[in-house]
Amino acid sequence: MKTLLYAILIVGIVPLQSILLPHATVWQVKPDIGLVAVCLVGLLAGELDGILVGLAVGWAMSLFSAGDLATGMVTKGVAGMLAGLAGRQMAQVTPTVLVAGLFTFSCLAGFAMMGSIRMGEDRDLWWALRAVILPQACFDAAVGGLVYWMAWERLDLDRVVRESRA
Amino acid sequence: MPYNARRVALVVCVVLLLGFFLLPNQTQTLFQQLGGPVGWLLSWPLQAVSAVHDGIGDIWDRYVALQGVEDENRQLRREIEHLQGQNNRLRESASATDRLTELLEFKTQALSTMVAAQVIGRDTSNWYRTIVLNKGESDGIHAEMGVITPAGVVGRVVKTTPGTAVVLLVSDGNNAIAGLIQRTRDEGIVDGTAQGGVRLKYIPLLSTVRTGDRVVTSGLVGGFPRGLAIGTINKIETEEGALFQTAELTPEVDINRVEEVLVIQSPYSPPASTEAEKAAPKAKP
Repeated sequence: MKTLLYAILIVGIVPLQSILLPHATVWQVKPDIGLVAVCLVGLLAGELDGILVGLAVGWAMSLFSAGDLATGMVTKGVAGMLAGLAGRQMAQVTPTVLVAGLFTFSCLAGFAMMGSIRMGEDRDLWWALRAVILPQACFDAAVGGLVYWMAWERLDLDRVVRESRA
Repeated sequence: MPYNARRVALVVCVVLLLGFFLLPNQTQTLFQQLGGPVGWLLSWPLQAVSAVHDGIGDIWDRYVALQGVEDENRQLRREIEHLQGQNNRLRESASATDRLTELLEFKTQALSTMVAAQVIGRDTSNWYRTIVLNKGESDGIHAEMGVITPAGVVGRVVKTTPGTAVVLLVSDGNNAIAGLIQRTRDEGIVDGTAQGGVRLKYIPLLSTVRTGDRVVTSGLVGGFPRGLAIGTINKIETEEGALFQTAELTPEVDINRVEEVLVIQSPYSPPASTEAEKAAPKAKP
């Protein structure tokens, strides 16, 4: 069941990110749903699921992007693993903590991506921060926080975490 | 998952991540090759969602968003009349050029093969300006091929799977296309700016370039033949002490609205007559 859910997630993320989200951009920036999903999987299901789903999502997404394949896979894999490890250390993850965590992960992933692209005379660190990294981190945190809050309100997340980590 | 299996899987993942750091090229090549079937598999839901998305877009455009269509129709009719007149003049010029070309025995450069493709998506990240096409390696599309519309240059292919191709747009800062100012014949490099615009760099200081000049492909490098429209110069910048001038362009193609494109599979092919001449036995004097 879990494998099927992960497969649907991996297959569904590419059309969502590539076709539907370009209509929901703010200042030409769209959220990285792949990163949000990977962090949530890591948090709820543990570091192994996080890293596996992260690598797979990163691979799938980089096939439909001009971005570096290795950076995409490593960034999402590490994000999933770190989210899993962070989730293990915390007794209870509230939506506020999740928003802060997602913001941090998204910023770190943004810096990693920035390191892999060719920066020109008008594309410096300040441009990257202002135009991509910070808006995307805010967007990711908001989307992830909303999804988690909805799940928090409707599901017994502690039980979900206990069962999925067992 | 049993404890030992979890441990093994975690170790494999960590080794894989280390592989990307220690042997980046080899690991990346391996995943790029394995990505062929995965990309083919993923292209199906992508095309299905794209078809539904286009269908909804069509319904919206045809039946809901009809405000201002009458004005637009009138304006387009006027434009057609103007273009018909221009077309007649251009036909005259073209026939004159044909005659002169024959006289000068120029070899004609013809586009041999082009593949039409539909745009089904955009880049999955925020770092690149790309479009995803619904045709890929199985249709003969490979990296570095030029992509155009009848209006002008769109970009070039950077990545392919059997069913899709990723095209880096001309407005992306990572792109570089050899350009030529049509009037002055000065060459430069066309690339994108951080703001999503297009510019022509490395124009010689002594060039007499001015706003309104058209920039076309020079055909020297890349997958484009000579003479394809890229854009029109709208601003020229000359920094004090700089060796070159830079010009901002208005692209011929509205890159944000492009829906169908043509992929140039080979920019040049020898004209049929030349091939026939080569094949035919030469008459002895």
